[in-house]
Order: sequence, then structure tokens, then C-alpha cells
Amino acid sequence: MLAYLQNIAVLFCINAILALTLNFIMGYAGIFSLAHAIFFGVGAYTAAYLALHVTDSLLICIAASAALSAVLSMVLALPALRVRGEYFVAASLGLQVIGVTIFSEWKSVTGGLGGMIGIPPPKLFGYTFGSQASYLTLAFVILLAVLGITALLVRGSFGRSLMAIRDSESAAQAYGKHVNAVKTLSVAVSAGLAGVAGTLYAFYMSFVNVEGFMLDMSILLMAMVIIGGTGTLFGPIVGAALLMALPAALTYLPFIPQSELGTIQQIIYGLAMVLLMMFRPGGLVGGRSKEKSA
Amino acid sequence: MLFVQLMVNGLQTGALYALIAAGFSLIFGMTRIFHAAHGATFTIAGFVFYECFSVLQWSWPLAVVVSAIAAGIFGVLLDRWVYAVIQRHEGSFFTVFVASFGAAIVVQNVISIVFGRGMVTVTTPLSKSIEVIPGLFVAPMAGVAILCAVVCFAILQYLLTRTNLGIALRALGENPNLVEVYGLTPRKLSQYVFLIGSVLVVPAAILTATTSGLNPSMGNHIMLISIAATIVGGVGSLRGAAMAGLLLGMAENLCLAFIDPQWSEAVTFVILFLFILFRPGGFYGRAIVS
Amino acid sequence: MSQAAPHQVLLEIRNLNKNFGGLQAISDVSMDLPAGVITTLVGPNGAGKTTLFNMITGHLVPTSGTVHWLGQSLNGIEPWKIARMGIARTFQDLRLFSHMTVEENIMTVMERNSWLWQTGADAVRKRVDEILEETGLADKRTERAVDLAYAERKFLSLARIMASKAKLWLLDEPASGLDPRSFDRFVALLREYAAKGVTICIIEHNLDIVIQLSDRVAFLDQGKLLAQGSSDDILKDPHLAAIYFGERS
Repeated sequence: MLAYLQNIAVLFCINAILALTLNFIMGYAGIFSLAHAIFFGVGAYTAAYLALHVTDSLLICIAASAALSAVLSMVLALPALRVRGEYFVAASLGLQVIGVTIFSEWKSVTGGLGGMIGIPPPKLFGYTFGSQASYLTLAFVILLAVLGITALLVRGSFGRSLMAIRDSESAAQAYGKHVNAVKTLSVAVSAGLAGVAGTLYAFYMSFVNVEGFMLDMSILLMAMVIIGGTGTLFGPIVGAALLMALPAALTYLPFIPQSELGTIQQIIYGLAMVLLMMFRPGGLVGGRSKEKSA
Repeated sequence: MLFVQLMVNGLQTGALYALIAAGFSLIFGMTRIFHAAHGATFTIAGFVFYECFSVLQWSWPLAVVVSAIAAGIFGVLLDRWVYAVIQRHEGSFFTVFVASFGAAIVVQNVISIVFGRGMVTVTTPLSKSIEVIPGLFVAPMAGVAILCAVVCFAILQYLLTRTNLGIALRALGENPNLVEVYGLTPRKLSQYVFLIGSVLVVPAAILTATTSGLNPSMGNHIMLISIAATIVGGVGSLRGAAMAGLLLGMAENLCLAFIDPQWSEAVTFVILFLFILFRPGGFYGRAIVS
Repeated sequence: MSQAAPHQVLLEIRNLNKNFGGLQAISDVSMDLPAGVITTLVGPNGAGKTTLFNMITGHLVPTSGTVHWLGQSLNGIEPWKIARMGIARTFQDLRLFSHMTVEENIMTVMERNSWLWQTGADAVRKRVDEILEETGLADKRTERAVDLAYAERKFLSLARIMASKAKLWLLDEPASGLDPRSFDRFVALLREYAAKGVTICIIEHNLDIVIQLSDRVAFLDQGKLLAQGSSDDILKDPHLAAIYFGERS
């Protein structure tokens, strides 16, 4: 039982980190990305590759994953954000699709459809993260760190620039905000931290394959952020908890066949997204915080 | 000969993509709503046709009509019951997009519950390929597809340039306030836009059902094509979207001469990305820099 | 804010032209905007006033002609850079940062760069307090912009431009719809900052406002600058009045 709960807890931490980082750009910057799962995946594959072939040092793997994800996101963001928001959505959808193909086909690096297995546990200053409890601690510490970083950014002048751009890009420009730089930086931070979550995931599962990084995952993350509440610090965490609890809750309903669990889940949060946008766009935590602009 | 075969396939796919893209571009260009459920409309149209024609064994004209009605109703009701509500209180890009997206997810999953997750195909006498010349296989359905596309575009062109409704719709895209001067409401016109845009995918859906088949999650691919074609063709240009759809269909097929099929979707993305990089205005649009 | 010599010309517009694919929106406009002077731009709808503003702020690129600010050409410079050079504008539809509080709206304008640690946080806070006092928004500081009343929003729009330390203010119909008491406060604020050496240019339709506010008036019609001079000269000209009210010769 303990092992089961610890498992859920670790996965919750990972999902919460992903939701927090996605909310950073969706809720605070107003940038919509359908490719968040890919940045998660890039981080995971990077850590896995490094751990299997180069080093099992936790710090190096985290740094490399974050860097690679961040750089990839900037390659996407720099041209797409320069033009308009809708273009970024389109480009991110494209990246999600092509990312999955690359993960599945680039056998030499990603192991293809079979993925990479046997990833050794990471080491930090001589300590090896062997037990599940140690992973839980690690995951929790990283979650707190990400929460801290996000709070620091959002509540400070960077966050204000971000929100100003979200509320009125033309006014933000008229008052000296370098819009493209701020947006690109926020995308890089978001993707980099998602990469860190990927590292955590790869080491915890000790195997990675493309299944965890597909469009469904990006959609799930988006649902977490939206249902929990965009533009709030704890909304995504609530969303992550809720949407993780959903499959477990559904198993208690007798009339739902096992095979359709995933489908029913998606219908529920699809409906939730529609209804929330109609009546409570700020999400569960945010409330009606999205009325017409001043 | 492989090349010619791929070109013919590309033409067929391109014709269908042109229709789909035109539908999306029409809706987006005129209502500024990012109708992420456009792929869902396609899926509904295809599966309804399958149900009516293959399962219930109705005649094909009846099946086509029912399919069109289903698609049209979906589009209009989504606009009326969901988008209208949202636009009334806030209507930002984000909110509408998310609601649209949510609707698409619901549709995709409901269809997969009803019809299963696998591929379904509608077999018709016209679906079977004939060896037209040695090495070149063409199904008569391909000809039907291209003919259909041409006819639809001709009708659309007539509608938009020669009828009062069409002119009002174009005005809606340019300047919604102007429309009110003529005693029309943007809301009502928007429903017409959704009706037309949604019905445009019906021929494409039916033809796809009879050739390569349908599955519930194909909506995602349809959306990628719609969005990519709209951007490559230029936002606000129907002709551009149609041409871009054709281009993407051709590219998707021609590239098979050089790379594996799994990468064909990637080709769409590469083309999209190149345009965003070098010519964000697309073929015909003006580069919209905020 | 360093003082420019009173009436020293800070913004020079020479032979500015803007052509939108066949439509000549601005035609050979030349204008000077001196420090400490409130100039009003008047003219019928569609005369090109906002287009002119957009070319100064860098949102539109002129077809030909030059705009010089403090001796430097603004041609081809991006809007955010021009903003940082000391030019700020308001919008007819305000474009406040709606989901941010009044305080945040003002603070974010003052935060030049977006680094995590800002130097001079105390000075910033003091200035924010000052501005809140001057615009009468002190008791609304934690209200969100979207929740403010109409007049308060107009003042917030002004507060932002005050916070920007800009030396050139381009105001697009800033006082429209204000009740008389708010209007008087508004005018007083503008005069105060003009006296400190700020160059102000206002687009305005309401002639009463024009009369009360302007030191100079420039009359724009169909993209051409028909006349500029003191407000008395321009407003008493019957020919211009005819154009303004739609009766053309």
C-alpha cells in the first residue's frame, strides 16, 4: 500500500511540475503550447541517454535536459512568436507531431519504439537514489524548487512584464517592453523546467519510450492547467491532483468497462474544458477572473 | 512511373485537403474564431456517412445528405451554444480555443466508444483501383474527389461574390461593425459561416472514408492540415488556403518517393515552419505582425 | 526629469508621407513639437491623426519623410525601442493591463528591464505613491484595472504615461467622456507636466476640450496639414470650421 501511494506521489510531483511550467506560459504569458509533452520527452531522453552512456550524475543530467529543452523551445519560439499567437499554437502542434515521429524513429538515440531501458539510478554527491522513498523526496524537493522559481518570476518584475504583454501586447510595446525577448525567455524557462521533470521521470521509471510524450499527454497537461485555473500559482497543482485522481475515481464506477476508462476520462475533461470556458474561465481556483478587458 | 503515381495520389489528397482547409480558413478568416473542432466536424461527417451507407445500407445520396446535415448542425450548434456564450462575456482567443479543443476531444472519444478505435472503410465500386496505364493505379473515386472539389469551389466562389449573403459574409471578415449597418447581425452571419465551413468538409470526409478509411483520432491530422494550410496560404485568403491544401497534399505524397511514410506528417510541419520563418504572410495574406 | 529649455523643439517631423497601397493617408506633413507646449491635433474622422501618431511611435513605417526626436532619426526603429527613448502614448481604447492591479499597471511601466532584481526598489515605490496621489487613485491601488470606473480608467491611462518618464506624450482622446470635475483635474495635471518640460500632443475631437487644453493647434484633413498656429487663430478660422463640420467648398 505504501509503495502504491509513494508511486502516485512521485507521479503527482512530476505532473504538477509539468502543469506549473505550462501554466507559466499559458496563464501568465498568454502563449498556448500543444508541445509541452515534447519538452518533457526531450528532457527524459536526454537524461536517459546520458545516464546510459556518459554519466549518472544527477546534476549533469538535470542541467543537460533543461538546456536542451530550453534551446529547442527557443528554436520554435523565436520565429513563431515574432508574428502572432496563433502561429505559435500551429507551430507547437507541428512540433508535437514531428517530435513523436522523431522519438519513434531515431533508433540510435532514442531506442525507437522500444525505448531505452535499464536506466541506472542517479547519483548526487556520492548518494545514490535507490529507494522509492528517496525518489519521492527528490521529486518533492524539485517540485518545491520549481514552485519557488515560478513564484519568484511571477511575482516580480518579470511576471509583471509577462502579464502586461498578455493583457495588451500593443500597450506593453508602447511602454518599452521588449515583447519578443520576454516571451521567448518565458517559453525557454517553461520548457527547461519541463525538461527537468523529464529527467526525474526517466530516472524514476528507469525506462523511457515514446508513449509518455504523445499528443494525449500534451492535451492532458493543458486540461490540468485549464481546469485547475490559469494564471494562479496553485491552480495547476489542483488540476494535476484532480486529473490524476480521475482514473482512480472512475474505477469505482461499476458500469464503466475497463477498456474504456481512458476514453471516458478524456470525455470528462473535454466536457470540463468546454463548460469551464463558458461559465468559469478562470478555472476552479481562478473563478471568473477573465472578464472583458479594460 | 512511381513519380506519376505519387502525383496522382497527391492530386487526390490535395483536392480533399483544399476543401478542408477552405472550410477552416473561411471560419477563421470571417469570425476570427480558432475553430479547433473543425477536425471533429470532419470525423462526424465521415462516420455518419459510414453508419448510414455501410451499416444501415441506405442509398448513397441519402447518406450524403444525412452526413452533411450532421456536420452542419455540429458546426452551427457549437457556434450557437458554446462560442456565442463565451463571446458574450469575454471571448478571448484562449477561451474560445480551449472550448473548441474540449469539444473536439469529446467528439473524438464518443466516436471511438461507438465505433471502436480502429480504422473503418466504406467500400464502394468506385473505390477499387484500376490500372489505367501499366504501373499507374487510379481509383475512379480519385476522379470523383477532384471533380467534387472543383464543383464545391465553384459554388463557393459564386456564393461569395454573387449573392447578398456572400457579400455580407465577406464584410463580416473585414469589418464586423459594418455588417450591422445593413441590418444584419454578426451573430447570425457567423452561424452561416459555420454552416458553410462545416459542410465544406463533408465531401472530403466521405471521399476519405471510401479511399483511405476513417479512424476516430484523425481529427488531429485534419486540424494540423487546416491550420498549416491556412497559414501557408495566408490568413484571410480562401484561395490561398485551398492552394496550400493542394500543395500540402502533393508534398505529403511526393515525399514518399524519398522517405518513409511515418515522416510524411513531418513534411507538413517542415513546410509550415519554413513559411513561418520566411514568409509568415503566406501566399496571399498580409504578414500580420502585432 | 532633466529640463529641456522651454519651447526647445524636441520632435521634428519633415515631409512625412504614408501611402497604403494607393490610399494616401498622410501627405507631406511637417510639424514641430516643442518642449512644454501642449499641441492639439484636430480634424475630421479619417484625417490621419492616429496614423501620424503610429508613425512617430514606430508602429507604422513612413513611405517617405523623416521624424527626428532629440536630433535622432526614428526611421526603422522598433516601437519598444522608441518607447525607451522617451516617447509614450495612450490609446483611444485605453488598453490598460486589465487583469493587473492599478499599482501593478504603474509599476510595470517603471520597470525598464525585466530582470528579477530591480535596483532602486524604494525609489520606485515612492514614485508609485506620488503618481497614485496625483491621479487620485491612491485608494484604488489594489483594484484590478478591469474593475475601475470609467474616469478612474482614464486617469490610470494617464498615470501610466506619467510613470514612463517619457518626454513626449502622445495622447489619443484622453479626456473624452470625463465629467467636469475630473476634466479640470485632468487638465491641471497636463499643465503641470507641461510646465516641467514635457512635450504633449493630443488628438481630440471635442472642441471645448481643445480650447481649454491647447497652446497650439494643428489641423489635419485627408492626410494634409492644413494649418497650424495658436488655438485662437485656428479655431476662429471659418474655412477650417467648415471642413471640420463637413461642409466643403
